[in-house]
Amino acid sequence: MQNLKNVVVLIVEDDPIDQKSIERAFSNQEVIDKVNVVASAEEALDYLRRSKEQDSDAPRPSLILLDLALPGMQGKEFLKCIKEDERLCSIPVVILTCSDNQEDIEQSYKLYAAGYAQKPLNAAELDNIVKKLVKYWFTTSSLL
Amino acid sequence: MQRFRDVVILLIEDDAGDQRLIEKSLCNEKILNELVTVNNAENALQYLQRCQDSDKESPRPDLILLDLNMPGMGGKEFLKHIKNNPELNDIPVVVLTTSDSEQDVLESYKLQAAGYIKKPVTLQGFQQMMSDMEEYWFVVCKRVVQRQPS
Repeated sequence: MQNLKNVVVLIVEDDPIDQKSIERAFSNQEVIDKVNVVASAEEALDYLRRSKEQDSDAPRPSLILLDLALPGMQGKEFLKCIKEDERLCSIPVVILTCSDNQEDIEQSYKLYAAGYAQKPLNAAELDNIVKKLVKYWFTTSSLL
Repeated sequence: MQRFRDVVILLIEDDAGDQRLIEKSLCNEKILNELVTVNNAENALQYLQRCQDSDKESPRPDLILLDLNMPGMGGKEFLKHIKNNPELNDIPVVVLTTSDSEQDVLESYKLQAAGYIKKPVTLQGFQQMMSDMEEYWFVVCKRVVQRQPS
């Protein structure tokens, strides 16, 4: 069962308000040991490069939560990068974005996103989404 | 005008007892589901071929539940097949198996499984699992909207 290990979630989100609320919602979940937040896809790739080099400050995430609209490299490009990397492709990436555009949804799943959730408008709804997401990935499913 | 479908789940499972437990678990769910059950990967591929041919009797699944150990084509081979098919690779595939081998977990995620669930042992366990899974895939997550064949 996953919760016997250190559970790390990497959040890729540029908006400081969203960063705080998502980080708080995840930190409220008992099974999560560490939530790391980065503000861009480039920072996320740097984090994952360090995690591959076994940098203790960059523990390998069990799950990545990804915004689509980011400055610089976009979420979908980042997703493609991760899924083409033999050492990273096994990490599930869940999209959390404002967009509910069908093209974004379909393209994300085609790039092997492991879920696509729309950012809710208030904190209570966000807590509810995160709770269900954490329950699915960290209690129902086994992760690496 | 675009018409929306109910949620369709394709279950690929050779064990009749597990099939029944999953069917029974779904009966309690609030989400309106159509469960299509096939006994092996070969029948699943045939079913998905009919979906691609827009056969009205074979609605495209929103989610696939896949056993790993099956007679004939194994679950991982099937997963690889689906994820390499540009017409089908957007369908999330959740592995549902008795195996808790770390190697199976790793290989399934490398093949882009969207979850790896060890089969519960009781009906209550199955009900909880189906409920958590449906809450995630059909309440939290958006799905690709398909057009109904006319």
